[in-house]
Amino acid sequence: MNEQLNWERRRFLAQSASGLGVAALSTLFAQDGFAASGRPELPHFTPRAKRAIYLFQSGGPSQMDLFDDKPAMKEYFDKDLPDSIRMGQRITTMTSGQKRFPIAPSIFRFRQHGESGAWLSELLPHTASVADHICFVKTVVTEAINHDPAVTFFQTGSQIAGRPSMGAWASYGLGTENTDLPAFVAMTSLGTGNKNDQPLYDRLWGSGFLPTTHQGVKFRGADDPVLYLKNPPGVAPELKRAMLDDLGELNRQRLGIVGDPEIATRIAQYELAFRMQTSIPKLTDYSTEPKHVLDMYGPDVAKPGTYASNCLLARRLSESGVRFVQLFHRGWDQHNTLPKALRGQCADTDQPTTALIKDLQQRGLLDETLIVWGGEFGRTIYCQGELSGTNYGRDHHPRCFTVWMAGGGIRPGMSWGRTDDFSYNVVENPVPVYDLHATMLHLMGIDHRRLTFRFQGRDHRLTDAHGNVVRELLA
Amino acid sequence: MPDWASMASLISLGSVCLCLLVPAAADADEAIDFSREIRPILAEHCLHCHGPDAKQRKADLRLDELASAIAERGGSQAIAPGKPERSTLLERVQSDDPDVQMPPADAGQRRLTRGEIDLLRRWIAQGAKWSEHWSFVVPRRPSLPTVRDATWPQNGIDYFILSRLDREGLRPSAPVEPVGLLRRVTQDLTGLPPTIAEVENFLADDAHDAYEKVVERLLNSPRYGEHMALAWLDAARYADTSGYQADWERFMWPWRDWVVGANNTNLPFDQFTVEQLAGDLLPNATPSQVLATGFNRNHRINDEGGSLDAEFEVEYVVDRVDTTSTVWLGLTAGCARCHDHKYDPISQKEYYRLFAFFNNVPEKGIDGRHGAAKPFIEVPNPAVQARIADLKRQLETRHATFAQLAEGSPERKAATKEIAEVAEAIKKLQPRAVTQVQVMQELPGRRPTYLLNRGVYNQPDTSEQLTPGLPSSLGGLPHERPADRLAFARWLVSEENTLTARVTANRLWQHHFGAGLVRTPEDFGSRGERPTHPELLDWLATELVRVNWDMKALHRLVVTSATYRQSSHTTPELLSRDPDNRLLSRGPRRRLTGAAIRDQALFVSGLLSGTMGGPSVKPYQPAGLWEELSFGTGKTSVDFYVQDHGESLYRRSLYTFWKRTVAPPSMAVFDGGGRDMCRVNFELTNTPLQALTLQNDITFVEASRHLARRMLQDGGTSADDQLTYGWRTILTRMPRPEELAVLRRSLERYRSVYRNNAAAAEQLLRVGESARDAQLDAAEHAAMTMVAHTLLNLDEAIVFE
Repeated sequence: MNEQLNWERRRFLAQSASGLGVAALSTLFAQDGFAASGRPELPHFTPRAKRAIYLFQSGGPSQMDLFDDKPAMKEYFDKDLPDSIRMGQRITTMTSGQKRFPIAPSIFRFRQHGESGAWLSELLPHTASVADHICFVKTVVTEAINHDPAVTFFQTGSQIAGRPSMGAWASYGLGTENTDLPAFVAMTSLGTGNKNDQPLYDRLWGSGFLPTTHQGVKFRGADDPVLYLKNPPGVAPELKRAMLDDLGELNRQRLGIVGDPEIATRIAQYELAFRMQTSIPKLTDYSTEPKHVLDMYGPDVAKPGTYASNCLLARRLSESGVRFVQLFHRGWDQHNTLPKALRGQCADTDQPTTALIKDLQQRGLLDETLIVWGGEFGRTIYCQGELSGTNYGRDHHPRCFTVWMAGGGIRPGMSWGRTDDFSYNVVENPVPVYDLHATMLHLMGIDHRRLTFRFQGRDHRLTDAHGNVVRELLA
Repeated sequence: MPDWASMASLISLGSVCLCLLVPAAADADEAIDFSREIRPILAEHCLHCHGPDAKQRKADLRLDELASAIAERGGSQAIAPGKPERSTLLERVQSDDPDVQMPPADAGQRRLTRGEIDLLRRWIAQGAKWSEHWSFVVPRRPSLPTVRDATWPQNGIDYFILSRLDREGLRPSAPVEPVGLLRRVTQDLTGLPPTIAEVENFLADDAHDAYEKVVERLLNSPRYGEHMALAWLDAARYADTSGYQADWERFMWPWRDWVVGANNTNLPFDQFTVEQLAGDLLPNATPSQVLATGFNRNHRINDEGGSLDAEFEVEYVVDRVDTTSTVWLGLTAGCARCHDHKYDPISQKEYYRLFAFFNNVPEKGIDGRHGAAKPFIEVPNPAVQARIADLKRQLETRHATFAQLAEGSPERKAATKEIAEVAEAIKKLQPRAVTQVQVMQELPGRRPTYLLNRGVYNQPDTSEQLTPGLPSSLGGLPHERPADRLAFARWLVSEENTLTARVTANRLWQHHFGAGLVRTPEDFGSRGERPTHPELLDWLATELVRVNWDMKALHRLVVTSATYRQSSHTTPELLSRDPDNRLLSRGPRRRLTGAAIRDQALFVSGLLSGTMGGPSVKPYQPAGLWEELSFGTGKTSVDFYVQDHGESLYRRSLYTFWKRTVAPPSMAVFDGGGRDMCRVNFELTNTPLQALTLQNDITFVEASRHLARRMLQDGGTSADDQLTYGWRTILTRMPRPEELAVLRRSLERYRSVYRNNAAAAEQLLRVGESARDAQLDAAEHAAMTMVAHTLLNLDEAIVFE
């Protein structure tokens, strides 16, 4: 229960009311928009990144086809996964009934790139061009093996529904730099991937037990980029303005009689809503972008709601001061015909992702913006379904997979952690999801142990009772 | 503009003022109340390492138990009653030596304040009197306290409120005027505002019990049961889909209708409890009693391919334990899933004994595709069955006619076609003639329950099989019958249980005043807030039992109290003394829920359907919301949002289809999300997205158009009369001249705009699927629609006050 926050707000209002007179209140609240202020004790230390953009790749991208090169597997084609590697670890019921677990080496060629010499698959030619900006964490480990619990865990630090998402924590802790925009924006997309790919859920950008002011506001590729943004047909902006003036006057009259400062806040919210009706369409209107910038993101940038368009919007939102932008791109759950599906998936995302990094860099914003790319788990080296020289599928794999980070405070041009020859187990430097969360918060100036919220008698935090900052990843 | 720094300083001033609300023992001689003043300090700073959790416990010291706290340990005592100088606890909380200080320097916790240390010292000096945590002590009916002004109280409640105000040197607020009171109580008990006719009848009734008569009318309105069901659906995590991944459709609405019906027939809360938790185990259980147990099958159920049955079977039982203990016990038992509870006396083993009550259902971890997950019952759907019977009668008639027609005649051909069509319609309806509803059922034997290490499904401690039972701090079950769910449910509402009546009375108080007497309705444990009026809470709890759990009686008691009838107007002084209205020196004022705001808009516009119950409906919703997140191929029946038409657009929000992974947006934006898990506490935000929703959601624009029609057609002939009619319809009271002046000016402006722009008027009047009255002049209607729209957006329109 958020007694404290409410109480503080009311306390402030009460103080203002007694000091300034009730009528003056309404003008005070022009700033009381989206979670303007965050927690007074934050940041805990100087942040390395003012903002974050999290490019979530939903479904579980295949690490050994993209980042974690396993040349030794060529020799193992169609051979069984050794028991010494599997070690009896649990697998999903989608493959637990298989008679065999034949190795499917990646059919994609890997090459080293940049001065850092990062190994990358041929499917990521654009990412390869910015490899020296990126820190590849090859040994992320999660606890869940199915999508719903795994994605929920990645977003909220718990497999159980009901906890705040990472962006909501950032909003609660840090507030927004731009009170006319929410602190946390979420966007979803699906490209050429399987239309039947993994669903998403509101709770992934939800505020859990935090006030709903902190939940991610969804920006959509639809006519209304934010729900209910557009005036009804037949109501021109001037008319709306006149209506708001009358509404404001009536509300102010009432405030004078009733004295409840919430009325002042309500008046301010209506004014902010009106400003959003102008400011948000400006953000989603790309006509001010030079052609060379649009070209960087690729042709899909012209189609609202695509990953490319969302990447550009992410830059524009971040540039405008939105604290946490999260993209959810679907389609990575490749249980069968992985090579074909992965080609499409990479073609959809490789160029826009890279453009985002380059675009931020050319604007001098990369140093203060943390970028994270990754899914909820990886995939198995063994084949699900039919294996041939050109085709295979892969099941979910939680024990090691790659997530990469770039930008604010991240050590560029490095790889961290080592997996075994089968990309099945971590050999060196495992990074649990909690540690990834702790590191992300750290970069934003937050000590993950001290950003807490009392709920059900307990001081909850994103990292629960876990988490260590992975210092080696920091610049 | 205030910057954050000055705001922060104002806030810190606030913590000084809060002390005013706690009549702390400023006087050094005054006896210190352990439960009120000391236990919260220990719970906040010490119990994490010196509490009930045996694994976490340091130095084998417990500060939640007297024996351990005062035990001699090598010549010293943590707490030496009467001897502060000999108490190492005091030394440690004051020390700056990192090896000695408590809480430890590296714990990331703040040090105790001087005030806290002083309280501890004086409490120890006074002999360290210990008492059990207040909520574990049987509530005893307190006598009514004395008050300075004995003319103010209307019933028992008021004595407790007033005596506290007396102590604080505050006076209650004046009574709200009659029209405001009628509005308040009507919204409160039915979720809808009063009509103008109801206002006039009330004002014309000179009887001394005119108000009491209104209360009776409202308590007997079918709208009462619907309105009271909403908070219960939140607590019961009720929804129309399964909630994991693909989020398959399920059909729990007969259970929802059971709740509405139980509210309306005023099923006593003890029976309401027993039937929902264990109706299936009652002797000769009726279908209705079995249906009631849907309560604990409302939890989410996973169907995701590849998932493990064993893992999710555990999750469902966990959910039942968490929900049941939150709703009836106000305890955060779920904290003991992975380890002993850190603050309250529930060990991990005791948690799994609670778990055992709910772990005996013939269910599967992965289930719920295409409808109900086992076990379920089939509930007849009377509307569909009546329709089928009707079609069958038609079929018979047609067969009879058919026999008389000449073979090969065109009539006979047409009849053949008609018969086929009717038969087809019957076939289509058949599957909906019954609804499969998930319910509780008991396995014939007993599924073994073990403690799960770290709460993980595949790490049972098989060294000991656990039987169902209560945590020892809560007492024991009677021995005469087996310790099963039914015994547990009966114990919950027995006098041996110290919690259910308090927790229930508190939630009821929360319904009326926006916050409970305990402001953490989900946590009555040592880390929860203490009641603002402990005696009143106990008085209400014992009253609830005394009236045999008659909920309407308790609602009646609250709404007829003088406390409830106070004006909610406030002053800077009151805001400063009591910003959160903890002392109840004024009436409640808060924003309505999203459901109530929508229902009210439909009601005042005349659009609201009075139909009760039945399958959930799909009103307007922005296109694409489900599709963007779902499988998107029609794999489930809820991949695509297929909006309903006609009456279904205008049903009460209680009946709106709730897809868990994409909550109805106009309810979610008003803090109404969260049907994933049990929720009994409420947060009210005030955001620009709410302002956008009320201005631009089709529902509210269409409602404005219909309200405008009523203003033009039923509101009289003059503009002032029409504007007054609209104002009274939505706000109940009469407008003040200044307010009417604003509306008049608005109307003039809108008229001139729409008279000069017929196209715009037409566009505005086309919003929504209902037809518009073509008799009305479009410009006039559009102009009045904008006025009505302004009215629906007023702060006053969307608050309860």
